[in-house]
Amino acid sequence: MEKVSITIDGKPIEVEEGSYVLQAAEELGIKIPTLCYYEHMTPYAACRICSVEARDGKGWTKIVTACNYPAWDGLQIFTDTPRVITARKVNLEMLMSHCAPAPVLQELADELGVKEPRWGIGTDTCIMCGLCVRICDEVVGAHALTFSSRGIDREVSTPFKLESEDCILCGACARYCPTGHIRMTDTNGRILHSELTLGPNTAISIPFRQAIPNAPRIDPDYCIHMATGGCKLCSKVCPKECINYEDKDEFEELEIGAIIIATGFQDFDPTPMQQFGYGKYPNVLSSIEFEQMNNAASPTDGKILMENGEEPRSIAILHCIGSRDEDHHKYCSRVCCMYALKFAHLVKEKTNAEVYQLYIDMRTFGKGYEEFYQRILTEGVNVIRGKGGEIVPAPPEYSSEGNLLVRCEDTLIGKFREIPVDMVILCTALEARGDAEDIARKFNISTGADGWFIEAHPKLAPVSTTTEGVFLAGVCQGPKDIPDTVAQGTAAAAHSIRLLNMGEVLMDAAYAEIVEEFCSGCRICNGLCPYNAITFDEEKKVSEINSALCKACGTCVAACPTGAIKARHFTDDQIYAQIEGILA
Amino acid sequence: MNNNKFTSPEDLNRLRERLVKQREEGRIIITVCAGTGCLACGCEAVTAAFREALKENQLEDKVEIRTTGCHGFCERGPLVVLRPEGTFYQRVKPADAKLIVEQTIKHGKLVNKLLYRDPQTKEVIVKEDDIPFYSKQMRLIFGMNGHMDPTSINDYIALGGYQALAKALLTMTPEQVIDEVKKSGLRGRGGGGYHAGKKWASCRRAKGEPKYVICNADEGDPGAFMDRSLLEGNPHGVIEGMVIGAFAIGSHDGYVYVRNEYPLAVKNLNIAVDAAREHGFLGDNIFGSSFNFDIDVSRGGGAFVCGESTALMASLEGKIGEPRAKYVHTVDAGLWDKPSNLNNVETWANVPLIIEKGADWYSRIGTASSKGTKVFALTGKINNTGLVEVPMGITLREIIFDIGGGPPKGKKFKAVQTGGPSGGTLVVETREPKVHESLVAHGDIRDEEEVVSLLDLPVDFDELTKVGSMMGSGGMIVMDQDSCMVDVAKYFLNFLQEESCGKCTPCREGLRITLEILTRISEGKGQMEDLDTLEEISQVMIDTCLCQLGGSAPNPVLSTIRYFRQEYLAHIVEKRCPAGVCKELVSHAIDETCTGCHVCFSVCPTNAIIGQTKTLHVIDQDACIQCGACYQLCRFDSIKRVKRGEGDAIQYVAKEKWHPPVKKKAAAVA
Repeated sequence: MEKVSITIDGKPIEVEEGSYVLQAAEELGIKIPTLCYYEHMTPYAACRICSVEARDGKGWTKIVTACNYPAWDGLQIFTDTPRVITARKVNLEMLMSHCAPAPVLQELADELGVKEPRWGIGTDTCIMCGLCVRICDEVVGAHALTFSSRGIDREVSTPFKLESEDCILCGACARYCPTGHIRMTDTNGRILHSELTLGPNTAISIPFRQAIPNAPRIDPDYCIHMATGGCKLCSKVCPKECINYEDKDEFEELEIGAIIIATGFQDFDPTPMQQFGYGKYPNVLSSIEFEQMNNAASPTDGKILMENGEEPRSIAILHCIGSRDEDHHKYCSRVCCMYALKFAHLVKEKTNAEVYQLYIDMRTFGKGYEEFYQRILTEGVNVIRGKGGEIVPAPPEYSSEGNLLVRCEDTLIGKFREIPVDMVILCTALEARGDAEDIARKFNISTGADGWFIEAHPKLAPVSTTTEGVFLAGVCQGPKDIPDTVAQGTAAAAHSIRLLNMGEVLMDAAYAEIVEEFCSGCRICNGLCPYNAITFDEEKKVSEINSALCKACGTCVAACPTGAIKARHFTDDQIYAQIEGILA
Repeated sequence: MNNNKFTSPEDLNRLRERLVKQREEGRIIITVCAGTGCLACGCEAVTAAFREALKENQLEDKVEIRTTGCHGFCERGPLVVLRPEGTFYQRVKPADAKLIVEQTIKHGKLVNKLLYRDPQTKEVIVKEDDIPFYSKQMRLIFGMNGHMDPTSINDYIALGGYQALAKALLTMTPEQVIDEVKKSGLRGRGGGGYHAGKKWASCRRAKGEPKYVICNADEGDPGAFMDRSLLEGNPHGVIEGMVIGAFAIGSHDGYVYVRNEYPLAVKNLNIAVDAAREHGFLGDNIFGSSFNFDIDVSRGGGAFVCGESTALMASLEGKIGEPRAKYVHTVDAGLWDKPSNLNNVETWANVPLIIEKGADWYSRIGTASSKGTKVFALTGKINNTGLVEVPMGITLREIIFDIGGGPPKGKKFKAVQTGGPSGGTLVVETREPKVHESLVAHGDIRDEEEVVSLLDLPVDFDELTKVGSMMGSGGMIVMDQDSCMVDVAKYFLNFLQEESCGKCTPCREGLRITLEILTRISEGKGQMEDLDTLEEISQVMIDTCLCQLGGSAPNPVLSTIRYFRQEYLAHIVEKRCPAGVCKELVSHAIDETCTGCHVCFSVCPTNAIIGQTKTLHVIDQDACIQCGACYQLCRFDSIKRVKRGEGDAIQYVAKEKWHPPVKKKAAAVA
């Protein structure tokens, strides 16, 4: 492209022919206000706020928009002639008379010296800048938004105002909306707690704190480019050209010396316990949902709010939902009492709500835990000994106190109580992951009746498993809190390091062997081996035993119809000899 | 016939000679106008009645019925012209068909009641060409309409069609074609008046392939229908023009963007495109040359803004019909960002004429800066509503009074609005003689000398722009003494507000606010500073609107303020509507001339008129909604439109003065 010389307010600058005046002005440090301009999109020139006066020095003059007026040699631009100022002011004034005083307009008004518009203040919140429509179109490529209707009825909507199938919920429209006309968190004025996780997500993030490697990665579930093929804004702004869209998930085979299983737990789903109305009453939350709401990056910005956006007047926290329960899990989930107390503390800190704790036994067993409990009691939390029995909509006489009614038996005073509250938090049980059985099979370890992995010995080997070199850490072995999890994880790491440092493993001399000549290839032993040590060699058509995996249990030896499997040090001859020795 | 394609001009000439011979065989032809106007008046039934009548009289072989496109004189439809004599029958009803066949065709006698009678001279005129409406026109591109069936390509060929195409393709280079068009001085008829030849040359020069040729048939101006009538009546003329243009520019793809609200135009155009393709005027190797070109007909959804070139192209691309900035011209980057040459229907229709008859012939018509003819759609308060084709440079007076016959019922001509909704309202003919004292106090009275009658303005692109209006697509709305200029501005602004695409702030919001202010003024709530505000907003709109539709939208306001400032002041200061149109400022009252005919009584929708037959009627001022139904109906001019609140005073005087009309018969008996 050829270079051309233009002047802006008398200041000369060389720019590429056809490049836009706005960029040249930016380079010169001359500020031209804009409303509908975004650097990564084709200029739209709808707001007309960036109007400037173009002259050729020979008498020709015209008001043009800086955002899309191409430079040509000899062009003179003036950004502050009376004609320009009037054009900007009147346009802004007209816009304000249609739209509510959005901060972006108010700021501009202060800058341009526009006072209250002569034609009244409008109530619309959309300034028709079209950023949302264009970002969805040009950058995202989802084409889910459009302008509909004409003239003064023009509005931004999805096609035919129906729920758009093309929307990929990326939130880009809301992110770039300068007036807040488009919001993500609000569905008809309701904050849907069940959709808390759908808040604005950035597709690029560091997975968690102190992640290794500590580098951002693209989450393909949220990346606009992965969904539509568009966007690529990150690569446009990355100065180091680090963005690689081609990177894919891969299967890698690694040779490893030890395995630590730390698969954690899943939350108990309280929906089947219909007496608590979870899923039926919008303000009955599970503990993890409440935790998400409290996150500063949540759609409520960390505020504790009911579905209608108001602060609750009172909150009940129900312990032992699904745990210590004959119908569900008999065990104690161990962490709930403490986080329930933490919730109470958070509620007291953030709101003026009354808090009721409904517990069976307050298990504050850890170091400093009891002290925290005592502190909570001084914060004015109501502690009731008795499990919550039922949650129902509050009758009208309670409406001044709460919209829900918690029914319970206060076993300390021996009375049935009905407590009106606005919000209920269910402290749901920790339970073994649904796929724990599969994991157990894969690693040759076993699970208990509750689904937790079984350690090698409950007292003497709480970290090891029956499979050599496989260790357990955390809640996958059984409910435990963070300090216990860290302790067990550290122990598992130590065990692994010990193995790795040895370099080689001492094997028991006792294991089973197959005499190939005698093996018929019947494969009966393959399925019987509890340690998956026997495989079938398809070429030789005989079974083989991996001596490192074999625990010398003897099952295969006994089962082999041809007697091809021998247990080393426990051959028939040796056993007979021993028997003879005893009898002799 | 499998192969109808013409591969050489000789083929075409042979067919033409054969067709002309056929036409000259002395058969009588009944041409029935089947333009949309006459269709609405029931011309289909008339055609059927003619068929029936011919059958009855066993004349089917000797007489041909030809349904043609619009003749232009829509006011008098359905029109029937008997050729070759050119006998002109107007307002023909199905029942008249038999009469015409039996009297005129069989016996050569005229049917007097169907003949045209000049409203001024009361003279009966028999021949079409002698009627002033036609005789003062110069029907270059519309002339063919009355002589051919638009669905018959043979008719077009017989009248010399596609000769220009043969000439251009086989004897001229593209550059010569462009030079010819440049020399002719043809300017775009769509509104802007850009020189067609220059545009073609830039498009030919532009880098990028393919190039597109587009015909803008998205005619949306209220009251304008010349493009529709051309497409309906002579679609081949437009197609021929486009092929010649495409040849000159080097394009192989053409589009016609036509409003879906023009079903007949779409139908006839599609028939014509198919026929042209079948005969080899479209498609590959046209006339055996190596030039290929074809046309797609695309139907528009009826948004006014899609008549703007960039919005039209966006719509063609399947996007929202919104204009974009034209800092880069469409001849460089238009449809799909490729060089695109867009011209309006009428412009394309002029092209064959220029090629066939030569630029020198063409440039002799018109004024120094505007050549050729222009079709105007004459509507409003005028006797001869219809389409008129006149040479450029003709005066408004000739169009409105000589051709149009002036306002009906002898009312006084007041103004004419040209150039569609964004055009200006022009011409001061009558002035309000009474000047209210309060006006003088405001110092807003303009000197008498400043008011110039523009009736003798020669009509061409530049002259109209100079006086604050524009040629536009050629709408011409005539207003008489009963039209209120504030109301007129309000009407056009309302149209524009509804049709604004809403993309840019000044057009979307500016029109809304302007309309609000105008409405306020028309309701008597205006203030003196409103005029300044209107002018301020208008200037900002002219400066900053994205497209020309917005940029010219303030024209109706500015031109009415410019030429009819006093009328605005009457509304604002005196709270009076001189024309008696603005309902909030008007009262209806009955004066002493009332005959007690009782007609008004029955039409009043709110029963506001009190009175019995042969007594003085009175309008209940509180119940009257100023609908004007009684005013329109009163044959004795007894119902007066007066300033709001003065109705009772008039009716009080009427009560004093009124006496029953003299009953002649009763007196005789006595």
